[in-house]
Amino acid sequence: MANPSRLLIVDDNEDILSTFYEFFNSMGYEVKTAVDGFAALKLLRDKSNFFDCLITDLVMPNISGVGLITIVKKEYPHLKIIAMTGYGDQPGALASEAEADVVLFKPIDLFKIENTVTELINQKNDKQEN
Amino acid sequence: MSTPLIGVSKSILKIKELINHVANTCLNVLITGETGVGKEVVAQSLYAESNRSTKNFVKINCAALPETLLESELYGYEKGAFTGAHRKRPGKFQTADKGVLFLDEIGDMPLALQSKMLHVLQSGEFSPLGSDYEFKTDVWVIAATNHDLEESIYNKTFREDLFYRLNIIKIDIPPLRKRKEDIAPLIEYYFRLYKSEYPDNHGSKPDSDTLAKLCNYPWPGNVRQLQNCIKKQMVLKSWEKIFDELPREHQENIPHIHTDSQHNGTQPFVNHDFANDRSGIISEFVDLSTSSDKLFEDISLKKIKKLASDRVEKEVISFVLEKVGWNRSRAAKILKISYKTLLYKMNEFKVHPPVK
Ligand SMILES: Nc1ncnc2c1ncn2[C@@H]1O[C@H](COP(=O)(O)OP(=O)(O)OP(=O)(O)O)[C@@H](O)[C@H]1O
Ligand SMILES: [Mg+2]
Repeated sequence: MANPSRLLIVDDNEDILSTFYEFFNSMGYEVKTAVDGFAALKLLRDKSNFFDCLITDLVMPNISGVGLITIVKKEYPHLKIIAMTGYGDQPGALASEAEADVVLFKPIDLFKIENTVTELINQKNDKQEN
Repeated sequence: MSTPLIGVSKSILKIKELINHVANTCLNVLITGETGVGKEVVAQSLYAESNRSTKNFVKINCAALPETLLESELYGYEKGAFTGAHRKRPGKFQTADKGVLFLDEIGDMPLALQSKMLHVLQSGEFSPLGSDYEFKTDVWVIAATNHDLEESIYNKTFREDLFYRLNIIKIDIPPLRKRKEDIAPLIEYYFRLYKSEYPDNHGSKPDSDTLAKLCNYPWPGNVRQLQNCIKKQMVLKSWEKIFDELPREHQENIPHIHTDSQHNGTQPFVNHDFANDRSGIISEFVDLSTSSDKLFEDISLKKIKKLASDRVEKEVISFVLEKVGWNRSRAAKILKISYKTLLYKMNEFKVHPPVK
């Protein structure tokens, strides 16, 4: 495989984080993780343009997923964003407002989210080729 | 000049770093923490580091004003919007334009105003009382509270949707007892500050023994309480006296302190000998059944004075209103307050005429 796609996964729940990490890693992705929006933002500012897709939880301390999405959309507009939430509608609505590409509700089927990632990354590549 | 955020603990360093990363995002911020931990200092630092620092920092305390007044303070009003509105007055949203609006004690905002606030934050527009126009706002909203808003949401005193909208950046400031490393630098800073303000007062900085005791004290009033101790020390010139005056329940944690006062230590708060009269009155205003730790946090003479006088005022207002058949201008005259004040008070104390 040529360049593996690079994912940044953000969740304040360590179990979810490691499950996602294991799964995407085994699917051949290059994965980095962060425990909240603040840690994620530091990774992003350190390595801008490194990641292809951001998967983020919404309700988190320090910088929430909604905050992270808003900042990312402004500073790294090419990065694809999947928001996921387990807290009912409101955070999800805010994530859409912040222009997340896709909003998913927990519990989330890992294969489904992997499909979404592939689609988003293909979209991005198509756009870049045109 | 605003107060610098003093501290060397991990949590304060992290907060400083966070401030640095978000100061120019203009995303809504919610600052939480016990009373006196420095929520306002953090809000000021956010402002100072942002590109809005040349514009206004406007603060409004949502707990200090009755609902109607809070509303007109926030949004302003047009001439004639209500009785007494003789001319147009801009609200805080307008004064804070392009700058920062600091909503202090947001947890105490009445529900009706929470809905309005939510609407303004959603739409980015507000309209002064009595006006048909919606004005665009460009304010950076920073809110603070010492309530646990999740609990308030559960108790239905705070709107969940407003909570999520404010909670985009969340800065939680831990109590001082959980970051003891900050105590020495805070003492250092405030000692110098007060000394420069009052050069005639000669206190002394704590020696290492005293500092150890200070670090073992749990500081229920956090940095504000520490500040008060430093100030007092500069007058009393004795750290021992300062220790003696600290709420006593907490002193058990401090070694070698009440050697001279055995009776001083661990008395229960509801002493059954005087349980009747005194604690009867007190318990009308504070919950005496809680642990004394919690109790000391709740007791504040100012707060109790307010609660007590509110209760009496409410009774007197109702009494007079009933006597004059709910004629408000007569009642206002008898009570020797303005008509407007009477309306505020009736609203605040929820004094309503009987439904016919
Ligand atoms: N880290 C700090 N560095 C310097 N001064 C501080 C710090 N934290 C608090 N203070 C000082 O302590 C006092 C109380 O702080 P502040 O008013 O910000 O607390 P608060 O959290 O807003 O309290 P409240 O909930 O009672 O409104 C202020 O005089 C402030 O300047
Ligand atoms: Mg305050």
